[in-house]
Amino acid sequence: MTEAELRESLYRAGYIADEGLATTLWLAGELQRPLLVEGDAGVGKTALASALARAQGRTLVRLQCHEGLDLSQAAYEWNYGRQLLAIRLHETQADRVKETDLFARDYLLERPLLQAISSEQPCVLLIDEIDRADEAFEAFLLEVLADYQITVPELGTLHARHIPQVVLTSNGTRELSDALRRRCLYHYLEYPTLAREIAIVRATLPQAESALVEQAVAFVQRLRREDLGKTPGVAETLDWVRALHRLAFKALPDDPHALMATLACLLKTREDRFQLGVDRVRQLIEGRRTVGVAEKAPQPS
Amino acid sequence: MNAQAQPLDSIAGFAALLRDHGLKVGVSEQLAMVTAALRVPVERSARLDAAWRAIACHDARDWRRWPDLFERYWYPERTKGSARMSGQTRPARNLQQLVKSLHDGMDSGAPSTRPGNADTALQTPAAEPDQPDDSGLSRAQGGATRADALHDRSLSMWLPQDLAQLERLAERIAQALRKRLTRRWHDSPTGRRLDVRRTLRASLRTGGLPLHPVWRSARRERPRLFILVDVSRSMETHAQLFLRIARAFVTAMDARVFVFHTRLAEVTPLLRSDSAAVQEKINAVTAGFGGGTRIATSVADFHAVHARAQLTRHARVWVLSDGFDADEPDQLADALARVRGRGARITWFHPSEHAPASQAMQAVAAHGNLVERLLRLNSLRDLAAVAEHLR
Repeated sequence: MTEAELRESLYRAGYIADEGLATTLWLAGELQRPLLVEGDAGVGKTALASALARAQGRTLVRLQCHEGLDLSQAAYEWNYGRQLLAIRLHETQADRVKETDLFARDYLLERPLLQAISSEQPCVLLIDEIDRADEAFEAFLLEVLADYQITVPELGTLHARHIPQVVLTSNGTRELSDALRRRCLYHYLEYPTLAREIAIVRATLPQAESALVEQAVAFVQRLRREDLGKTPGVAETLDWVRALHRLAFKALPDDPHALMATLACLLKTREDRFQLGVDRVRQLIEGRRTVGVAEKAPQPS
Repeated sequence: MNAQAQPLDSIAGFAALLRDHGLKVGVSEQLAMVTAALRVPVERSARLDAAWRAIACHDARDWRRWPDLFERYWYPERTKGSARMSGQTRPARNLQQLVKSLHDGMDSGAPSTRPGNADTALQTPAAEPDQPDDSGLSRAQGGATRADALHDRSLSMWLPQDLAQLERLAERIAQALRKRLTRRWHDSPTGRRLDVRRTLRASLRTGGLPLHPVWRSARRERPRLFILVDVSRSMETHAQLFLRIARAFVTAMDARVFVFHTRLAEVTPLLRSDSAAVQEKINAVTAGFGGGTRIATSVADFHAVHARAQLTRHARVWVLSDGFDADEPDQLADALARVRGRGARITWFHPSEHAPASQAMQAVAAHGNLVERLLRLNSLRDLAAVAEHLR
């Protein structure tokens, strides 16, 4: 698949990637290297992986990282219950059960990493929010990402049947190790540009009026430049436009009061709600960003 | 310069620029950049910007610096008010031409490998992008052996007992380097000489009366050791070992260590601290390999600039190199003769089985006693074996 075809199929899968991102994804596939995607929350890092899986017709294997994530949750676990059951069964049947029988693939519970490695079909492995996992787990990942293999002491080393396309995402809450970074290609996802975000919203909500989409996206883009505790991402934009469309808005109203209730889709903390009063929202609608002495206040009619 | 040499030179130069600006671009990244250039179709060569960005950047900080660095190197004419980046004449850089000549190089089969042409080191991955792992064998140049157990052995892979052994060995060699008189004295018919300054100093405790005369004695000092390590591409696999050995001598006897490829740089302060980041820093210092080895220029620079005052008969200069020199063959002998002329003793360590036989080294050998000894050094065992020859 060339880079242009990949971009096209991503578009069909509902993800509008810019050229740079498409090139990076294509290169990650060509070099069979994992891709580390960083960026603010809500810029579409996770969506990228699922869209990539859809675009390539592969299954998505997702590993959500969290603090205290360990091997038994990420890679594999022995099915103790079944093993015990097998022992009890064999006790009643008089034939001896051998230890090696109990440590066979049948008794191995595959967790996402092992699933991706042993998958019959090539798949996309999403390791989400790797910065939330601790450093020990990151070190374990190095073996998986460098050689695409997992060592199970009882079974030996299991090699990947098909090398999965790996996407790691990080929100930057913790600095990742150099070793991990150097094994990956890197992409920093910015918030989409105005044109791209309009295209994204149009692709997802084709039924919404184009005037509404354009104005709403422009509003969100201006809102992102505000000093907010939680900057709204693309998902928030989509939610908001969807809400406005349900409320039968054809375009953004001039009166901010009508909008205030819907802003819950965009502003997720109390401080941000407090900061954006009616006047500020009006200014944002009108496209004025800065408040200063020289700025003209709207003339009271 | 052949047609293929230029693109690889340009990429190496670009990687050096990135390293200079703190991006962690090692050999593997550089190879990946070449591979990416080979995979990108010629007509879409502009996409290399994004591809290389994904390879070379490792965090958000790198990511933000990239556009500026990329423009500065590949499109300097777009940068307003910019001067040339260095004093060197800048080869023409054009991404599309680069990709095209890389592709042409690949289509026309493997280019011939010429010993001494450092750029050939990078041509192997260009010719065989699918087999980056065994490229080391075909990369061998001249007489330097490549298929060695130390191949690709990084610093972190040294076992603790290896390191302890190396330290003991360095200590032993340091002890064995004979202490020499700092001054040669004539015998005095009147006997010992008074050290007036120390006598006066000693008289303070007796209220100014010089009751305890101090006599001058001959001082003996260990020789000052200078280690010049060749880190050019042809020595890539051995440089790790050599730097490790050099580090041991920095600890054991305060040696000064220089690395060179086409330029010379001192790395002693870096070697004093032992941390994971050190190798990165040394990599950064040694940026720009693939530009060849200029031993003669480096030795001349060492003599004229870096160690001028310390090159006396107390100096020992160890050169760790395979002897393949891109300078004129006679220059190396001249440069070494100047070092030798100051009384410093030169020992040459080579990683190959036989003594280096490049033209430059033949000229050196023709001079007779320029180099005191030519010793093989390819492992710790070799170092132990040559220890007794080092005086």
